[in-house]
Amino acid sequence: MENIGLLIDGFGHILSWNHIMLMMVGVTLGILVGVLPGLGAPNGVSLLLPLTFSMDPISAIILLSCMYWGALFGGSTTSILFNIPGEPSSVATTFDGYPMAKAGQASRALTLAFVSAGLGALAGVVMITLLSGWVANFALKFSSPEYFAVYFLAFASFISMGAQSPFKTLVSMMLGFALASIGMDTISGNLRLTFDIPELIKGVSFLIAVMGLFGIGELLLTTEEGLRFEGIKARVKLAEIGRTLIEIPRYWLTIARSTIIGIWMGITPAGPTAASFMSYGVARRSARDKSLFGKGDPRGVVAPETADHSAGTSALLPMLALGVPGSATAAVMMGGLMIWGLTPGPMLFADRPDFVWGLIASMYLGNVVAVFLVIATVPLYASILRVPFSIIGPIIVAVIFSGAYQVVNSVSDIFLVIGFGLLGYVFKKLDYPLAPLVLAMVLGDKAEDAFRQSMLMSGGSLDIFWSNALVAGLMTLGLVLLLSPLAFWLIGTLRKRRDDVAPHGDGNAAV
Amino acid sequence: MDAGRVLERTCSLSRFGARHRFRKVTIMSENSANGVSRFAVELGVAALTGAFGAAVCHGSLDIGAGWTEMGPDAGYFPFYIGLLIVFGSLVNIAQAFLKHRGTGEIFIDAGRAKVVASFLLPLVAFGAIAAWLGLYVGTALYIAATMVFQGRYKWWIALPAGLGVSAAFFLIFEIGFQVPLLKGPVEAWFGIY
Repeated sequence: MENIGLLIDGFGHILSWNHIMLMMVGVTLGILVGVLPGLGAPNGVSLLLPLTFSMDPISAIILLSCMYWGALFGGSTTSILFNIPGEPSSVATTFDGYPMAKAGQASRALTLAFVSAGLGALAGVVMITLLSGWVANFALKFSSPEYFAVYFLAFASFISMGAQSPFKTLVSMMLGFALASIGMDTISGNLRLTFDIPELIKGVSFLIAVMGLFGIGELLLTTEEGLRFEGIKARVKLAEIGRTLIEIPRYWLTIARSTIIGIWMGITPAGPTAASFMSYGVARRSARDKSLFGKGDPRGVVAPETADHSAGTSALLPMLALGVPGSATAAVMMGGLMIWGLTPGPMLFADRPDFVWGLIASMYLGNVVAVFLVIATVPLYASILRVPFSIIGPIIVAVIFSGAYQVVNSVSDIFLVIGFGLLGYVFKKLDYPLAPLVLAMVLGDKAEDAFRQSMLMSGGSLDIFWSNALVAGLMTLGLVLLLSPLAFWLIGTLRKRRDDVAPHGDGNAAV
Repeated sequence: MDAGRVLERTCSLSRFGARHRFRKVTIMSENSANGVSRFAVELGVAALTGAFGAAVCHGSLDIGAGWTEMGPDAGYFPFYIGLLIVFGSLVNIAQAFLKHRGTGEIFIDAGRAKVVASFLLPLVAFGAIAAWLGLYVGTALYIAATMVFQGRYKWWIALPAGLGVSAAFFLIFEIGFQVPLLKGPVEAWFGIY
């Protein structure tokens, strides 16, 4: 119950008009970013981050985290009204949300989405409230080898759980690590991997990478696909909202199941996108009457939305308590915390309880503010999307360029953003995942420091990662995850070989 | 089809100069209206990442990837990262051969490439102008130009719109958040620093 007391203190820190205003600004910007093509939550947070350097950390994190909530809501709005997911994690919402809107049930679909998303997010925050102190206490026992093992586990789970080819994930992730190590080495002070290019001495900021990969890259994809908003006129009617609210308890089972999926996927680095797809799949598989799925089944909106938001919120638990972010956006926020001189992890709970619990308290308030704001402003945002892309697109580009320059006031970063944009475009088209790259860029230095310190402790022997039960357990789990794709592949090929008594050799090359 | 195959073969032989290869394939495909095959791009990207990995290894060895009396050297960790990039890229090349060769998957066709280029080239020009004249002038010019040439707006709508966005940026960034943006000679004439 200690946590509840701390949470009440946290509310004490944040309850002021100033902070409520910031929440509304954050949510509004977030919805905007979520609605606009090419700008998503990670991108929005990166663009806003340089602007918050002059604020105090609590206000800044309120603004940034509320932008995150807003972006999650905005993404579902466009999925339902335009069949265009504003965020990758709201792709699953289009399956049933858009058909519902087309059938004249736009208000119902939007209300279902927002309320179930709000419920999912609240469940995630409750989980954070209850578990964070415990996880942080547990993590106090960690020293360098344990930290490296946790990072290893996080990256291994990316490789095993990602939908993409494990080797593409590996390359993307290692590129992130390599980019993170460009510039000054924090331990020896040597310059690394700068290849005598003076612009590289300051290193490559993860913010630039996010703006390019997710921003410019996404815009290029959008232009290629020829953006056309054939939206549905949305007017949110109060009576229909009321009727839908009464309907919600009927979906308790779907909501409960999706929350659990979301929280689990959020804590592990699988992230919101995987969570929403999985939750949708489970809801469809377990439904007694599957015929309506894909044609506008309300459960097809509730399930992915709940999971998406509970995963999005839960992703902050490992970030705060362990310093390992569970999603790309959480990674960007964590990078922000480090820029403010707050290192996420167990020590943060001991050193700055006001900050940690203020943030957790703001999650409760922020999500409630977000649900109301988003229901109130949907028609407004829907009309923004009717502005032609030849105006919106360039404005987004200009915002991204300005944001890139503001990171460290460097002109070369503008060109770097373009480069990352091309990379993001090509990677996206070839199914290379981008989140591991960003995560590795943020965590690269910390993972490397943990590794090098462990090596110093052991005098260069890898045995240190099996020196006690905790670190050995983490490393073993990581290795199991890392090797699991190989095991599945082997089982798959063996079974196939047994099934069709292979007339053409190993039958593998033909796949 | 056959010509495409042969082209892909030769592409896979030349490991470096991937960018050059893209251009060649695009030119070829404009005639056949076929587009760049996904296979070629998969190979090209894997070769590029592999080359980057090799460069990382090389750079790490340069600064010392071994063990000093102070513990692991600065290049110790990046060296293995580079090795893993090379390893992953090699597997990706192999997988490209298994999964994408001869499937007829198109990465981008000529029509779409033109659309993407019409967005990308102004964007690059914007970057160059911004580096020279500052972001405010660059923004105004870029937005006005894209509105005229792509949106088919009249110049007397586009120009004020560009200037308006630029002015809004000034109000938001410079005055609102007190974060300066890149300024160039034009602002200097007006005495804005």
